[in-house]
Amino acid sequence: MAKKSDTKPKLKPRDTETIEQIVSLANGIVTAAGGGRDLSIDIPTRSLANVRYNKTRKILEMGKGTNSRQLFNLSQAKSYMQTILVAQGASRLIGEGKSNSIRGLYYTLKHKIAPTSENTFEDQAECDPIIEDLEVILGSLREELHLFADNRGGMVGNIILEDSGDEINCGRMGSGGYAVPSIVEPEVIRFKECTAKFVLHVEKGTVWQRFNEDKFWRNNNCILTHGAGQPPRGVRRMLYRLHNELKLPIYCLLDNDPWGYYIYSVIKQGSINLAYESQRMAIPEARFLGLRSSDYERCALSDSVQIALNDTDRKRAKQIAGYPWFAHKKSWQKEIDKMLDNGFKLEVEALISKDISYVTEEYTPQRLKDQDWLD
Amino acid sequence: MSETTSSPEADDLTETNGEATTGSNGDGHKNRRRATAQSMAASQKEISVSEFFAKNRHLLGFDNPRKALLTTVKEAVDNALDACEEAGILPEIWVHIERVGEDRFKVGVQDNGPGIVRAQIPLIFGKLLYGSKFHRMRMSRGQQGIGISAAGMYGMLTTGKPVKIMSKVSKRSDAHYYELQIDTKRNRPDILNGKGEGVVIEPNDKGRRNTEKHGIEWVEIDHGTRVTIELEARYQRGRGSVDEYLEQTAMANPHVMVHYTDPDGSVWDRPRVTDTLPPEPREIKPHPYGVELGRLVGMLKETKAPTIGQFLIQSFSRVSPSIARKICEGAKLGVRTTPAKCERQEADAIYKSIQTAKIPAPATDCLVPIGEDLILKGLHQIIPGEFYAAATRPPSVYRGNPFLIEVGLAFGGTSPAQRISIDGLKEMLDASDARTLRQFLSMTFDGIGADAADKIIAASEMRPRVSPGKLEKEEIVKLHEAMQNVNLNDGQSMSILRYANRVPLQFQAAACAITQTVMGTNWRSYGLSQSRGSLPSGPVTLMVHMASVWVPFTSESKEAVASYPEIQKELRLALQAVGRKLAMFLRKRLKVKHEGQRRAIFLRYLGEVATAVHAINGTDREQLLERLMKVAQKRTASADAQFDDRGRPLEPTEKDFGGSVLIVDPASEPLEK
Ligand SMILES: Nc1ncnc2c1ncn2[C@@H]1O[C@H](COP(=O)(O)OP(=O)(O)OP(=O)(O)O)[C@@H](O)[C@H]1O
Ligand SMILES: [Mg+2]
Repeated sequence: MAKKSDTKPKLKPRDTETIEQIVSLANGIVTAAGGGRDLSIDIPTRSLANVRYNKTRKILEMGKGTNSRQLFNLSQAKSYMQTILVAQGASRLIGEGKSNSIRGLYYTLKHKIAPTSENTFEDQAECDPIIEDLEVILGSLREELHLFADNRGGMVGNIILEDSGDEINCGRMGSGGYAVPSIVEPEVIRFKECTAKFVLHVEKGTVWQRFNEDKFWRNNNCILTHGAGQPPRGVRRMLYRLHNELKLPIYCLLDNDPWGYYIYSVIKQGSINLAYESQRMAIPEARFLGLRSSDYERCALSDSVQIALNDTDRKRAKQIAGYPWFAHKKSWQKEIDKMLDNGFKLEVEALISKDISYVTEEYTPQRLKDQDWLD
Repeated sequence: MSETTSSPEADDLTETNGEATTGSNGDGHKNRRRATAQSMAASQKEISVSEFFAKNRHLLGFDNPRKALLTTVKEAVDNALDACEEAGILPEIWVHIERVGEDRFKVGVQDNGPGIVRAQIPLIFGKLLYGSKFHRMRMSRGQQGIGISAAGMYGMLTTGKPVKIMSKVSKRSDAHYYELQIDTKRNRPDILNGKGEGVVIEPNDKGRRNTEKHGIEWVEIDHGTRVTIELEARYQRGRGSVDEYLEQTAMANPHVMVHYTDPDGSVWDRPRVTDTLPPEPREIKPHPYGVELGRLVGMLKETKAPTIGQFLIQSFSRVSPSIARKICEGAKLGVRTTPAKCERQEADAIYKSIQTAKIPAPATDCLVPIGEDLILKGLHQIIPGEFYAAATRPPSVYRGNPFLIEVGLAFGGTSPAQRISIDGLKEMLDASDARTLRQFLSMTFDGIGADAADKIIAASEMRPRVSPGKLEKEEIVKLHEAMQNVNLNDGQSMSILRYANRVPLQFQAAACAITQTVMGTNWRSYGLSQSRGSLPSGPVTLMVHMASVWVPFTSESKEAVASYPEIQKELRLALQAVGRKLAMFLRKRLKVKHEGQRRAIFLRYLGEVATAVHAINGTDREQLLERLMKVAQKRTASADAQFDDRGRPLEPTEKDFGGSVLIVDPASEPLEK
């Protein structure tokens, strides 16, 4: 039943493997339907219930739990159909030796289901998690499905790379910086020359701009990255490679709120959602430089920078405090307790309001000098 | 009691009193004298019942010409059915309404009943409050002894024409033909024909010739009675019409055969649904709890029993010697007291003692319900629907009178407004006296409320205030179309067919205990929508029957049942019984619908899956799709179980409801009824 390949390009072994996996998924449907059996796909569960914290490796790993997605179940019928559609889309890309963005794939697969006016996918947010499902179903990486995400996150600093044959000097990227691609595997990106001594990762583009404008990376001889919020896989993989291949320490400067804690947790241990990716992305040695709950007093910030915690914040904070990788760390428990005590959260911008270059010229250098961070 | 009014001493007495009155008025500040007791005495006299009812004809259901026609037919038909059933004859009835003038009709009703003996005919048809049913406790349609003579009187008063009666008791006996007038002053019959003796029609050729000679209308049968009344009336179809009465009567009396010739000459033959006569209701004696003081006084006067003890045992049901003794003890009277010696005071004591005595409830085997089975059949015949349920309650007692309640419910189907032909509509529009179209719609058709009327008018693009008589031909076509096409289910409110002893009650709905109890029932919990204190909406028809040895009507026109708490309670229980079944049906239907929707959702995605799988591994798409569909059918089996091999919905079976329901597949019903 394998797909007839007429004038198809020669496939790489890994690609052949992936296609075979997709074909066997399809064959399973044919057999089940023929036998009048239920149609279901087992999908490794991507939720907190199915992640394990590996204490020795200090990363999150996916457990063995699976969910079955059934065609003849009202709440699952559509996502079952979507899963098969995504599999078909990926198999075609692989077969044709082409890649597509996840956005591009969404548009290729989106159409009206005749005779109704319902769409196969209503928006991209509906399609993205299905792609992640397919990754875990097949045990393939996204790029092995010939899919990539939009470039998101930025990078500047004392490093020269080669990106698809082009030399990129991250010390000469102007105010915009180098946009970190979705796929940063060695086939695509090679590190050519690096004098930087560490990486400072900040949460948002705006803060990153402040640091870039103040030439923090030049003054402190480092690489400066941001992930536009929760860092995408490309940025995380880039940090991982910088850390593991170039032995650069990673410092994170994030907001003093549950979300900031979570981002740190993702960089350090891996994400719950994508736990299967942890082993090639998680950086257990990454450090949390700030913002700290004590900074409000320590830096004598004005009370206008306080943002009151809401109920969700409090709930999230307690949840995070309970994560196994934070649960036994006194410093972290104190940190989170202090925030709850304060009753407010702080953004990195709070420091900028004190003095425009306070964060780049005083706060961060001081922290680094004092080695005052959380781990 | 009558002595005071007619004795000469009384006159003297009034005289003296009169003097005194004049004296006290002597201050003379008013010259004009008011009536004196003497002058008043001159005009004080007995009022004959017939005179009273001639003036208060609305009490008997003759408030307007249209209703007069209905009431006349109704009194005659009710009597015919009573007579046939009492004689154990399967009733066959001929109803003939003939237009004899602009607003004059001749109503002839004949039955195949036992006939009436010669001597009784004039009294029955020519004297009010003369009948066989008043004094007995037996379930029958008539009970007061006013009905048919009142109709005759109304006819006579409005047209001057006599009531004509032909009656025959057996094949070989003479028939008797009378033309009567009622002497309203004296409440007695005047025989106009045969020199005041009536006419004898022999059972031979001579008789036949005579029949022709006297212009007697008569359908040749062995025995029966025909009454013909000419009256001022108006004929109009729709709600509260003769047609409706006959249709509803047929429904509650499936053993009756009706031949109806309407004023347009169309003949409507309604065959029997069953050949079995309902069992004969047993006559019972009144129960002591039900007797009123006045009636008790009368009974004491009339009785032939030598002692009070005997009197109580003989005149009432459920009074044993020991109970009689207890009643007498309670009244502080000897059991052997002579009834005739009982004065008001003693009667009062007996009455009070009865109320506190412990007396077993009356026997209830005197009631003959229509029965759940025939209710279902009858409803189904008249009202096209999808679901029918019926409940007959066990007998109960109010004020010492046994009664029982039964309820039938029909759900679904089209409303009467949607079953009407365009010609029928035209006719109704012409005859209607409604001022606006909106009024016409809600007045003429059952189940059309103001909302539904507005919907129809909007759909027909007409002005709501247009006069129904002034519609152009194309406008009528448009209106008819709108009536067919507008979904009336939502705007439709429940219609209720009320019956008392198998007689349809067509008026005074709001005053009736039946309507009130229906409105007071929470139908929302049975899956219908209802706003507080009003009838629920939806395509529902209720049939509610009260059977009793004495139906407590709110007035002599027998249009509404009085609200006794015991009756309301039984009504409530019966309504709840059918309500629960309706709720079950609606739930099941919803489930089937949901299953159907479920399947539709699965089917929707199967095509996509098959296409994708085909693209991945080259499988034959159509074959895969077919197989997937099969699995889908299997997985939504409960939607499937409702379809037979031709794909028609079978719906849940009647057994699922614990019986007393009828489920009909609308698709298999013929469109024309
Ligand atoms: N068609 C008939 N055949 C035989 N008997 C009849 C017929 N019509 C009337 N009668 C007798 O005449 C009596 C009087 O009838 P009428 O309709 O006046 O009073 P009713 O039926 O007793 O009570 P109601 O006033 O409630 O109708 C009846 O009780 C019945 O005995
Ligand atoms: Mg009668």
